[in-house]
Amino acid sequence: MPSSSFRAGAREGFRSFLPMSVGLIPWALVTGMAMISTGLTPVQAMGMNVIVFAGTAQLGTLPLIGIGAPLWLIAVTALALNLRFIIFSAAIAQGFRGIGAPLRWYSGHLLTDGVFACCFEKMLAVDDPHWRLGYYLAPSLWSWALWQVFALIGVFAAGSIPKHWSLEFMATIALLVLLVPLARLRPMLVAALSSGAAAILLRGMPLRLGLIVAIVVGIAAGFAAEHWHGKAKTA
Amino acid sequence: MSAEATLWLTFVLLGLATTLPRASFIVLGGRVRLPSVVQRALRYAPAAALAAIVVPDVLVVSGDFAPLNPKLAGVIAAVAAAILSRNPWLPFIAGMAVLLGVRALSGA
Repeated sequence: MPSSSFRAGAREGFRSFLPMSVGLIPWALVTGMAMISTGLTPVQAMGMNVIVFAGTAQLGTLPLIGIGAPLWLIAVTALALNLRFIIFSAAIAQGFRGIGAPLRWYSGHLLTDGVFACCFEKMLAVDDPHWRLGYYLAPSLWSWALWQVFALIGVFAAGSIPKHWSLEFMATIALLVLLVPLARLRPMLVAALSSGAAAILLRGMPLRLGLIVAIVVGIAAGFAAEHWHGKAKTA
Repeated sequence: MSAEATLWLTFVLLGLATTLPRASFIVLGGRVRLPSVVQRALRYAPAAALAAIVVPDVLVVSGDFAPLNPKLAGVIAAVAAAILSRNPWLPFIAGMAVLLGVRALSGA
């Protein structure tokens, strides 16, 4: 039986995350449809959805899976898309003090952008570990359930939509919508533009290696832009 | 290895490539700190990776650089919708409508 402070934390976490969680619905629908338009069966699609549980990594690697790219390239691309989680994980780590290793692993598996943004301040501020665990797990499990249910709806909706509607374009739009808020920061925009240009120029490289090189070029360009931007400000 | 087995292996690798970064510091706790230079460089990885996937997808048509195509029109509409509106559905509706509209008009 969960303690009363766990339940109090869970109620508060759920309440503060609920309005934001509506934003997950189009993502889950689009991801469900994109998996089917890549050629996965419904069982494979839902298997991917449960095992991976990461919209950006799923949408980003589907084109590579579709063309039969080598496994290591798919994994490295997913890793690049997920590197932000190392930063989130480092930022929220103190919020898990006093909580055992199995629950930490499970909490880590459930970490998403939305829950991180919503929860991390109170996770660090509150003392009671039971309260913190409830406060984190309630919105996380709610996200998980929404993600699976609406992806499943997307999986079945995709089958009844004609192919010439080009539903796979929804995945492109989804990736762009993720990129737009990032690109509001100047160095981030430089990183994206450099990486995009490099990906075009290097598209002839074997094994789609150009993708990895382009990501490295983008990171370096963003880092350099941040440096110059900072210098220009202080000068 | 069969195509089916390869696909499931791919999912497991993707799962690891997601859960390991997410769980990293939550599991390690306060024992390890990431150097700030590394943290700052890592911030650019998602934007770089997203752009490296999306840009060729939109601007390259069967191997050739061909920026003026219906997808670009759809992308412009979707990005405009994402900037101007907070409605999460609008970029998808605008992007798909423009893509299919331009295709229908150009007879492609």
